[in-house]
Amino acid sequence: MLKIGEEIQVISTKVRKAIEERDKGPIQQLAATQVEAGADALEVNIGPQKKQGPEVMEWMVDTIQEVVDVPLCLDTTNLAAMEAGLKRVTQQAFVNSTSAEPDRLRDVPPLAAKYNAKLIALTMGKSIPVEADGRVTIALEQLVPRIMEVGLPLEQVYMDPLILTVSGMQEYCPEAVETIRFLKQIADPPPMTVIGMSNVSNGVPAANRSLINATYAVMLLAAGLDAAIVDARDERLKEWVRIVEERDDGTPVGQLLINLYDFTAAMEDLDAAVVDMDDPEQVAIYKTVQILQNKIIYADGYLQV
Amino acid sequence: MLTPWATIPLISAIIQPATPGTYDTDLEGVAVMAVAVAIPKKKWTGQVRDVVLGATEADGGTRSKTVSVGGEGTLPFLDFEAPMPNAPRVAVEIKDRRPDDWSPILLEAWGDFMDDPAEWAKAVEKLDVDLLLLSISLTDAEGSETTAEQARSTVRKVLDSTGLPLVVFGPGQTEKDIEILVAVAEEAAGERIVLGVCDDKNYKTIVAAAMAHGHLVDARAAMDVNLAKQLNILISDVGLPLDRVLMDPTTAALGYGVEYGYSAMERLRLAALQGDGMTQQPMLVTPGEEAWRMKEAKVGEDVPEAWGDWEERAISWETLTATTLVQSGADVVVLRHPESVRRIKDLISKLWKKGE
Repeated sequence: MLKIGEEIQVISTKVRKAIEERDKGPIQQLAATQVEAGADALEVNIGPQKKQGPEVMEWMVDTIQEVVDVPLCLDTTNLAAMEAGLKRVTQQAFVNSTSAEPDRLRDVPPLAAKYNAKLIALTMGKSIPVEADGRVTIALEQLVPRIMEVGLPLEQVYMDPLILTVSGMQEYCPEAVETIRFLKQIADPPPMTVIGMSNVSNGVPAANRSLINATYAVMLLAAGLDAAIVDARDERLKEWVRIVEERDDGTPVGQLLINLYDFTAAMEDLDAAVVDMDDPEQVAIYKTVQILQNKIIYADGYLQV
Repeated sequence: MLTPWATIPLISAIIQPATPGTYDTDLEGVAVMAVAVAIPKKKWTGQVRDVVLGATEADGGTRSKTVSVGGEGTLPFLDFEAPMPNAPRVAVEIKDRRPDDWSPILLEAWGDFMDDPAEWAKAVEKLDVDLLLLSISLTDAEGSETTAEQARSTVRKVLDSTGLPLVVFGPGQTEKDIEILVAVAEEAAGERIVLGVCDDKNYKTIVAAAMAHGHLVDARAAMDVNLAKQLNILISDVGLPLDRVLMDPTTAALGYGVEYGYSAMERLRLAALQGDGMTQQPMLVTPGEEAWRMKEAKVGEDVPEAWGDWEERAISWETLTATTLVQSGADVVVLRHPESVRRIKDLISKLWKKGE
């Protein structure tokens, strides 16, 4: 799984302040720590930046590329800023993002094609369908035709089914896994897939976020996920991704994760019989799978019961 | 002779006549063929907890009866699948004094009873309902904040005047509710009353008061299944057994979001029946309060003529809101108007225990 570090984004006060003051230090530190922690690429979310979009994006790209040499995932709704960034990058960038919303679909794919960038395409129009079918339909009927029209190879397109939080939009969680599964079947070669991993645990108490993110990652990988915007410093997430990618069954938890992966890949529910109910970590994983499959209603205290 | 069924291949394949022949019906000149239809039955793994409200002398209280709520192992009224031991219960809301903001229709219905909670309670008991809900006002008739002592004395009067199991709601402000409900819990010690509302801000104190004096709580979360479940977990963590917790998912009136309440209740109930132990609480809802806040029920002036008779419209508003909630799994509906009580009791009697 390609890991795109999530931390350089405008919602963070630290990042926003650094942008306002054009203070390279905090940005470069975030870039370096994430790459050191294993990020393969870096999200660069500057927000809409209505006034100084191109200038801010150029400054960000230059600032980051001074200290790391990884692909950047440029995230802004400001087209001029996006183009400015694409002119500046030294490695093939990600354009984050287009959707089926008419203006975005008209403007963003040509830009990605012009600069031979990768394109993240959200399977949503004005709203996000709950069911996987609805999201795949958007991909097939709106995103793919437009992408082919502008001449972008499908392998260069990362479809994003949109991850919503388990603490309020729980019914979307299993459907996103199925969306990934179907997206990997719509063409040969299939499009790539990407998600924002931390979204699934938005609003969840901090202590449980990593467990939920990492468990979901195993399920999504089983469905065919290729890349994710992640907390690159989350050791559990990285370790669990490694376990299922290498099929390392050297520990009981590793065996359970591989089981979870295999059951999910086979479109089956994780069999409770393979869970050691005397091992608190395995029980926690099992309960987390239950809430991510929308079988048990999520509550902040779901691990306690 | 060919029956009409046989001309429709699909239906005739599904519905096989049990025994040949025709049978008389109540309708003059109409006979139908008996058919054996296999009604699909859902097998649920969970059931709602049975919660007992009120304590009689034998249990250390003074109520003339106890009332069981919940206990169902299936969706509302589908008792051909699993037992629904208790019919949805009807509670009537009274206030500690004549309310300032109730609709004239309600003022007319209850008349002078409203000037004395003891008399009001007696009038409610005559309607042959299951439960009485006493709601304490934020201020007294003079406009001063209701004190804990005033609330205590009202609860005493009401307990002494009726044998119905009691639910007591505070004025609905966290600090004031705590002050009032703690005093009420002490006054009603041993009566197994329901203290409400218990929410994520006040639950520690309200639950402690319920535990200390042998009461129950009404756990209210704002139309959100996740928060409703979490509140049950929190209450359970403090140590109150879950057979002393009613779940109050919050509701809204017809035309003002009752469908959201319906969905939340339906989801909670499905989870309960699927075995989620933290959602298996009987549900109490307050359609009376919600419906009578809305202009369709509350006011008769400056509304379109096409809206029709005010009183009938108002009662219909409350009745239809309550009906919807009964269908989505409410175990206790709290009403305000005597005619709504009659209609809802009639509805429940026509639906309950018809499938056995």
